[in-house]
Amino acid sequence: MKLTIEDKLSLLASSAKYDVSCSSSGSENNYKTGELGCTHNSGICHSFTSDGRCISLLKVLLSNICIYDCAYCINRVSNDIPRTAFSPRELADLTINFYKRNYIEGLFLSSGIIKNEDYTMQLLLQTLRILRHEYRFNGYIHVKLIPGASKELIEEATLLAHRVSSNIELPSSKSLALLAPDKTKEKLLSPLKYARDISLQQSTKPISMSTQMIIGATSESDFEILKLSSSLYQKALLKRVYYSAYIAVNNHKHLPVPELSKPPLLREHRLYQADWLLRFYGFSYDEILSENQNLDIQFDPKTFWALSNMHLFPIDVNHAPKEILVRIPGIGIRGALKILQARRFKQLHFEDLLKLKISLKKARYFIVAGKDFYRTTSLYTEKIKLALIHQGSNIIQPSLFDRSIYTGEL
Amino acid sequence: MILLYDGSFEGFLSLVYEVYYEKLQVSSIVKQMPDTLLFERFHEVFTDEAKARKVLEGIEKHFSKEQQRTMCHIFLCDTRSHEMALLEYIRIGFKNPQELRNITNASLFYIQNLEKELLSLVHKMYGFTRFEELEDGTLYAKIETKFNIVPFLGEHFCKRLGNIPFIIHDIKRSLAFVKNDDIREIRSIASFETPNYSEEESQFKALWKSFFKAAAIESRYNPKLQKSWVPLLYRTYMSEFEA
Repeated sequence: MKLTIEDKLSLLASSAKYDVSCSSSGSENNYKTGELGCTHNSGICHSFTSDGRCISLLKVLLSNICIYDCAYCINRVSNDIPRTAFSPRELADLTINFYKRNYIEGLFLSSGIIKNEDYTMQLLLQTLRILRHEYRFNGYIHVKLIPGASKELIEEATLLAHRVSSNIELPSSKSLALLAPDKTKEKLLSPLKYARDISLQQSTKPISMSTQMIIGATSESDFEILKLSSSLYQKALLKRVYYSAYIAVNNHKHLPVPELSKPPLLREHRLYQADWLLRFYGFSYDEILSENQNLDIQFDPKTFWALSNMHLFPIDVNHAPKEILVRIPGIGIRGALKILQARRFKQLHFEDLLKLKISLKKARYFIVAGKDFYRTTSLYTEKIKLALIHQGSNIIQPSLFDRSIYTGEL
Repeated sequence: MILLYDGSFEGFLSLVYEVYYEKLQVSSIVKQMPDTLLFERFHEVFTDEAKARKVLEGIEKHFSKEQQRTMCHIFLCDTRSHEMALLEYIRIGFKNPQELRNITNASLFYIQNLEKELLSLVHKMYGFTRFEELEDGTLYAKIETKFNIVPFLGEHFCKRLGNIPFIIHDIKRSLAFVKNDDIREIRSIASFETPNYSEEESQFKALWKSFFKAAAIESRYNPKLQKSWVPLLYRTYMSEFEA
């Protein structure tokens, strides 16, 4: 049976949807007169699907045919699902037509492995060449580097795309050996390292790269995961690490049973919060967690950190520098900037903070503002904990039988 | 005293002139004559080009480029009564420009937030505007937005649509940004007939809808989150949300 282009698109978009990354940000305005497409530094979301995730890029696989047999993946060779592929031309035309109508910001192209790694990478590159050279398309392109593809092909990809990525998939080599026997950590990281090196040779700004880890399929603690992310950020290898709550699509002896497991969404959420603390708030991974610890479910990572470091509080909002202000639970970068701007003109009290639309729900327990501090709750960890739980701020009540939402296991 | 002006930028500048030179005590500024007037003095400001120019020159001299841009942005928020805050902004700026950064002043904080609100709307519409292809290849988009953001969208899409002619039509304000080989301008639209779409248009719309459906993960279904990102009011012209 021959599939229509609409069937193909449904199938190949559906196979690609488990990739989390959809960012189109971080590229300088590259406007060229008379040519199609231009990137936007902050990235643009074009729609949001019914799961609340953004659509920024046309995220599809070139093909869902794959020679690998990774236990967690819907496209593994041993699964009996309909298989199909776009031709590079079809995909390029689709991209242009979607772009023109402002449906998308660009293309996110990945693929299952057809025949072998180089053959697949060639097809991806062929699509990119049509877009960039023939259609003079300057919109955002994110392409997956196929682990094991040859260096020349990876080099060409870094020249044609705005962002390249390769998924680490699982947070440790042990888990990889268990679930993805065809992949090793070295094999997955080597294209990223190589791409960084060549793009550094060509310009001072390395190409932006990202990766993704599946959370909750294997037994790693959040500490291990954050440690890994933090080392990847520090080596300036990656711009982003994405965390993807494990969604059971296959039965496998080493994986949670699909019927019994829900994706660990709250754990994923906490990991992202912690990831933000690493990237924008100046925290280090060992401040957030100690060895083999998991992130707290009840409190967000910053509140949890503050509660375990009460000796650093209260913080005087009229004098603390920015890097200390952003460590106050409930105050973010924007709030800190507003405080810095406003306190040049007057001493700030609670009332002023509220007028600046800074929420004091959490922050009030941790700050002094002029003569104001929160008198009803004294500065003891347990008392503040109780008060926070009592007011129910940012706490998701677990229902009795539904623990799986946190752990992915029952 | 209540001041009435015609709602135009020149009108507002003339108003500023009169406030300064006739030392008016202003209690509110309106664009339309109120139905009832109780014990309140009332004055109508007529738009006067010479007065407006004089104020504009003063503003250009005393305010930074960035501050001038802020004033223009605020004026595009045409569905909010921002005039009193803007008048206060101008007053403070003439007196002491340093003070303009003082967000503990209610009017200045209002201005800062309103500008943010406008720019975040602009950013949303960069993504949510949808073009349809007409018979002759022109791309046509309809929008309905709370503020007048046609100038922003026009500039934005000029950069990305290359040589393709396009029209962005603000239905409520009867305005349109028109760009083709010869012109690039904002026009007012008196009447507009529904145009004919290109042959391919319905096919790509269908493809987009099936992509939109396929990209969602069922086990993460979360319409509440979706609604907070794309509130219903934005969905009027977004084909993926059609039933």
